Amino acid sequence: MIQPTFVFLHALGSSKREWELVCRHLGSAPCMALDLPGFGDRVDEGYADVTAMADDLADTIRRNGLTACILVGHSMGGKIATIVAARAAAGEIGLAGVLGVALVAASPPSPEPMDEERRAQMIGWVAGGSIGQDDAETFVEANTASPLPPELHDRAVADVRRSSREAWLGWLERGSLEDWSGQVGQISIPALIVAGSEDGDLNEDAQRRLNAPHYRHADIRVVDGAAHMIPYEQPEALTRALENYAASLAPSILPSGFVHVLSSDRVSRRTRAAMLERTRPVSDAGLPWSDAERATVQDLIAHILPEDVSAPDLAQRVEVAITQGSGDGWRFADLPPDPEAWRQGLLTLDALTGRFAALDHGTQADWLDRIAAGNDEATANAGPFSPEQMALWFQDVRAEVVRQWAALPSTMAAIGYDGFAVGGDGPRKQGYRRTGANDVEAWQTVREKIA
Amino acid sequence: MSRAPYATTEMVDAVVIGTGAGGAPLTARLAEAGLSVVALEAGRSFKPNEHVADELAADIYWMEERLSGGNDPTAFGSNNSGMGVGGSTLHWGAFCPRPDPRDLQLKTMTGQGADWPVPHAELIAYVKEVEAFTGVSGPARYPWDDSRRYAYPPVPRNASAEAMARGCEALGITVADAPAALVSRDREQPHWGQRQACVNCGTCHQGCRNAAKTSMDTSYLPMAAAHGAEIRSQARVMSFEFDQHGRIDGVVYHQGGQEHRQRCRAVFLCAGGVESPRLLLNLGLANSSGQVGRNFMAHVATQVWGRFDDEMRMNRGYPSSLISEDMMRPADADCVGGYLMQSLGVLPVNLATGLARGAGMWGTRLQSILRNYNRMAGIGINGDCLPHPDNRLTLSDETDAFGHRKARIDFSYHANERAIDQHSRRVMTAIWEAAGAQDIFAVDRSAHTIGTCRMGDNGDEAVVDADGRSFDIANLWICDNSVFPSALAANPALTIMALSLRTADRFLASGR
Repeated sequence: MIQPTFVFLHALGSSKREWELVCRHLGSAPCMALDLPGFGDRVDEGYADVTAMADDLADTIRRNGLTACILVGHSMGGKIATIVAARAAAGEIGLAGVLGVALVAASPPSPEPMDEERRAQMIGWVAGGSIGQDDAETFVEANTASPLPPELHDRAVADVRRSSREAWLGWLERGSLEDWSGQVGQISIPALIVAGSEDGDLNEDAQRRLNAPHYRHADIRVVDGAAHMIPYEQPEALTRALENYAASLAPSILPSGFVHVLSSDRVSRRTRAAMLERTRPVSDAGLPWSDAERATVQDLIAHILPEDVSAPDLAQRVEVAITQGSGDGWRFADLPPDPEAWRQGLLTLDALTGRFAALDHGTQADWLDRIAAGNDEATANAGPFSPEQMALWFQDVRAEVVRQWAALPSTMAAIGYDGFAVGGDGPRKQGYRRTGANDVEAWQTVREKIA
Repeated sequence: MSRAPYATTEMVDAVVIGTGAGGAPLTARLAEAGLSVVALEAGRSFKPNEHVADELAADIYWMEERLSGGNDPTAFGSNNSGMGVGGSTLHWGAFCPRPDPRDLQLKTMTGQGADWPVPHAELIAYVKEVEAFTGVSGPARYPWDDSRRYAYPPVPRNASAEAMARGCEALGITVADAPAALVSRDREQPHWGQRQACVNCGTCHQGCRNAAKTSMDTSYLPMAAAHGAEIRSQARVMSFEFDQHGRIDGVVYHQGGQEHRQRCRAVFLCAGGVESPRLLLNLGLANSSGQVGRNFMAHVATQVWGRFDDEMRMNRGYPSSLISEDMMRPADADCVGGYLMQSLGVLPVNLATGLARGAGMWGTRLQSILRNYNRMAGIGINGDCLPHPDNRLTLSDETDAFGHRKARIDFSYHANERAIDQHSRRVMTAIWEAAGAQDIFAVDRSAHTIGTCRMGDNGDEAVVDADGRSFDIANLWICDNSVFPSALAANPALTIMALSLRTADRFLASGR
């Protein structure tokens, strides 16, 4: 079982040290906490703007060859995580392993809501150079619901104090004010959004208004007893939320060797984005089928692809394709349009069989054989569809199920298909050098070794 | 003379509807001759690099719904219908055998089907011109035509081709590297730029990303533009306007949410075997013969698949890299016409839907075959198809987003198609057995949209004359696979491009 790596990004005036407790609680899960330029051990690097910080994160993901990772961004770091997630979802090279984003009291891609007096005050703290002890303590106390234990308090204050003046000003005067919302758009990568119950400007309400709309799926959790410095204030609660979130992403994890190839320059941006889109969870919300209809479709899938019933969200993908897709360019003239055909097909199936989902597998299988034959007089007049129509509809069902299944990256990985990795966006496409039987190219076998 | 962009109020010499194999070469020819030409394309324009090597994400197909009826409904969408500047040449397989002379004289030689009112030698002269302009790769010596030469050496065989060669050799069937409309060496394409040598990526049907494959957007359309033609994309033709003599003097189209009218002296309808007749039927035009929509034909495209012990990875390499023309007139088949055989390499979704539909599979067997994707290989045919009164395109009562009624196409195999299908199954199964395949099975499939605006000498039986001109409307010309009097076993695109040049020449010679 592959465990995704948590990649942690700290807040303004902080450092990777803010994640020590969370990482300890996470136990064996791989953690990578970063210092952003101008903070922590990288104070000497001074100010890096939002673009540079995002590039820094993207380069770190690439350099470390991360093939399954969750970006965790606290406050300022959240804006960076969201921007990189948007780049990953759009198919940027080397970022195919970004599975999820956890935003912790995160700054949004749009200008961060911040009281202007407070901004001015914080800018004033560095008027004389570095931040003084009193000001740093004011900052930590303003961002916590109750006093931190002395050791943590001292660590947080020390990190504020050692922040680079340029980086501190850069975020307050520019980075936090930059509006990236248009570029970020809506991201297909699912997000966990964590807010502190006692937070101010970046509280739950702000998260719902400013961060959640940028994610197609966002699960919002409020941590009690925390204001803005949640990793210091409530590390155990935050860890539990991260663990649950990581578990929910497990179905979208692909073998690392496969992601290595998918991330590589052998794959075009458009192809990578299209494939990654199919790794994202599909929500039932807003889809039209009833639970009973879904149960029947799930049973049909179990007959069509008996070994892959658990392919990620396959039934939901079929439902989306049928009810919201643009179709495949044709349909049988003897059937109504696809959404209606599936309604009537499912209705007829239940009318024929009593209730299909209530039957045992063997009885269901017998019925499907009869339906596929299409000429079973005993099945006539049971429901809206004739036996001939049922045979055509069942053909459509089979085709749509296998079409969605074969297009899943997890299926491609399972069958060893790498035909998507035949040309990136460079001036020359790689294609295949070898085309004969048993003559496998080195990069194709690398994939298998890594996997 | 005026130059593009043309004003819609300007009377241009010709409007061409559709920029695929039928529309593009004649657009170039007419523009080269100094005519003012506007080509209207329903789809968008692409750069080759934009194509997506993914079966579901590729966006170069005509995906608007068509209704498919009959006993052997044929699939549309990605199976045979393109959309975009370049039309179906964006996604075609580039397999480009030449039309067989016997196929053009089917009626004379067998009493069945229809003859072409175009001499084979004349057609082949145009075929050679197309081959020279676009660049074709093929064998140094073509076993069924000793005089034939190809500009580029063949692309490497894929694993299916190697197996097919092995099986055919054991059975005494002749094979050759297939003529492929792609360049196996870098080529400077006039008016466009560098087309890079094929890199064996195997995604021809998703769009060629380095322009190795012949596609109208990287060949004839740039030539047309260089000679002053204007190509308008995302322009959907709605209707025609006429002068008092019954000649079309304007084409009405939708573009960017607005209705436009392009004034013109002549119209070339090149929208393909489905959209050309659909437009005419929707408008009630050019159909005094009652033949618009009739004589729909699709190639018998049966496939035989099997599993090998070897790792085939059939997606690698140009899919149709081997051909046999030995079955063009099979002695023991009880059919007129015949079929071409080719090696296959298909991508997973295509294989999966083929199994689910054409082989009627589901369950453990289907799943086990798909899981063995890398050990699967296939061969397929392109078999002639006779016209039949039942096989036709009509209009459904349902309308599309533009208010035009959708096409309904009824298609059923009859005795001749069934005979070809059965014979080819026997032959291909024997080849696959000889090649060492296991678990061999066949997939029913038909391909290509042919007929529906038949060309002929008699206005009571045909929609256009031997030049491609409508019998009813003097300045309406049709050029695409809809005018084919018979299906021919050869894949249609090369013949369509040849006919396109010929249509332009006949138009220019006609004094208009």
